[in-house]
Amino acid sequence: MDEKLRLRYQLICAWCGPAFLLTFVFFWGFVGHNIPNPSPDLTAEALKSRYLADLGEIRLGFIMSLITVCFYMPWTCVLAAQMRRIEGSEMPVLSYLQLIGGALTVMVVSFSAVFWVVAAFRPDAPASTFQMMTDTGWLIIDLCYCCTTLQMVAAALVGLADKSKVPLFPRWVCYLTIWCGISFFPASLTGVLKTGPFAWNGALSYYIPYFCWLCWFGTASIYMIKEIRRRMTVSEVAMPSGRLAHGAV
Amino acid sequence: MSSIASTTDTELGRDARRLPGDPDVWIFIFAELLMFGAFFVAYIVNWMGHREVYTAAQTTLDRSFGLINTIFLIVSSWSVVSALKAARANRPRHVAPFLGFAIALGISFMGVKYFEYSAKLDSGIDLTTDDFHMFYFCLTGIHLLHVIAGTVILIVCWTNARQGAYHRDNIRGLETGASYWHMVDLLWIFLFPLLYLLR
Repeated sequence: MDEKLRLRYQLICAWCGPAFLLTFVFFWGFVGHNIPNPSPDLTAEALKSRYLADLGEIRLGFIMSLITVCFYMPWTCVLAAQMRRIEGSEMPVLSYLQLIGGALTVMVVSFSAVFWVVAAFRPDAPASTFQMMTDTGWLIIDLCYCCTTLQMVAAALVGLADKSKVPLFPRWVCYLTIWCGISFFPASLTGVLKTGPFAWNGALSYYIPYFCWLCWFGTASIYMIKEIRRRMTVSEVAMPSGRLAHGAV
Repeated sequence: MSSIASTTDTELGRDARRLPGDPDVWIFIFAELLMFGAFFVAYIVNWMGHREVYTAAQTTLDRSFGLINTIFLIVSSWSVVSALKAARANRPRHVAPFLGFAIALGISFMGVKYFEYSAKLDSGIDLTTDDFHMFYFCLTGIHLLHVIAGTVILIVCWTNARQGAYHRDNIRGLETGASYWHMVDLLWIFLFPLLYLLR
């Protein structure tokens, strides 16, 4: 594969980041009725009524989000490739960690949405089934955040070690990334609490950490796209002279 | 002569204005402060709605534990400042003992928290007992994680200091660690009155 085509594929992969961001917020958040999300304190009957009131939208939102969540994968791959260049080709452990963290994030988000699709699959099921499926979905996505935290910390550590003239990420973005990654820690409390700001519908376990995660994702995407465009420019400038040299021979 | 004096003044002025440590770390510190700010606002909003309930639940807290920990953190911050002063005065051998003392106080803070939590759990109180205790365990628990992280950072600085790494010309790493530790201290200074004293 020539340089130009390789860079073009990289650019497409990096643009999967904004594509994920928009489609995730739209389908998972709005269409799937997760903004605001159901309270863990709802009774089984109230939860079932919530599903039945918007059954079509909830099905559409989560089924579509299960497709579009895969935009996260190419984005993770291009970030891993960019990190590997900084880290060096021999034992790029942090790049691997970021790669596997991103892949597992996709699975965690997917599994939780599958449970909500299952809940909506048989509207005549008992209310307790709806409750069990909803609980399982939320506890999966809220308790398995560490895959994403490690992905973010790995990306930040490599970013901080970048000594290039124009680094991939500015240093302040790297520190903010680490903070955004650890802002998920209060989400562990969702495994115990049903009310208050630390429950899975609370500001401190849901709205703030998820907002931080998506902010990091958007910011990192901008810098990744910029990096690829810089390389494209360098490649385009280098190309004519290369052709000239080839022609001269 | 006057030009030398004015140059020195300018440098001093610039030095006083600059943020200690790595300036980019301050983004992290401000983000942490904002996060805790959100915690405090959430607590106050809930406290205002159920003032009597919170005040009744607050009586189960042992203020002496909180006060001892406040003293531990304030003295540890003084110790960290003394370590920084020693490094700035180019006395690298005096840096490690001050940091060691601050680390000991950080570990003592964790010990007091262990006894405090144990007493609560033994008397059947946990974070699901009521809203006040939910906030108490969550906020002090998240702060405790910061104390642990801060102590680890101080241990790294102490290890470097024992090798004489910090002196007038190499102080940034120590300043960064110290800034984080002061933030941990500052958060407790807000947390202690909010949870233990506010009625």
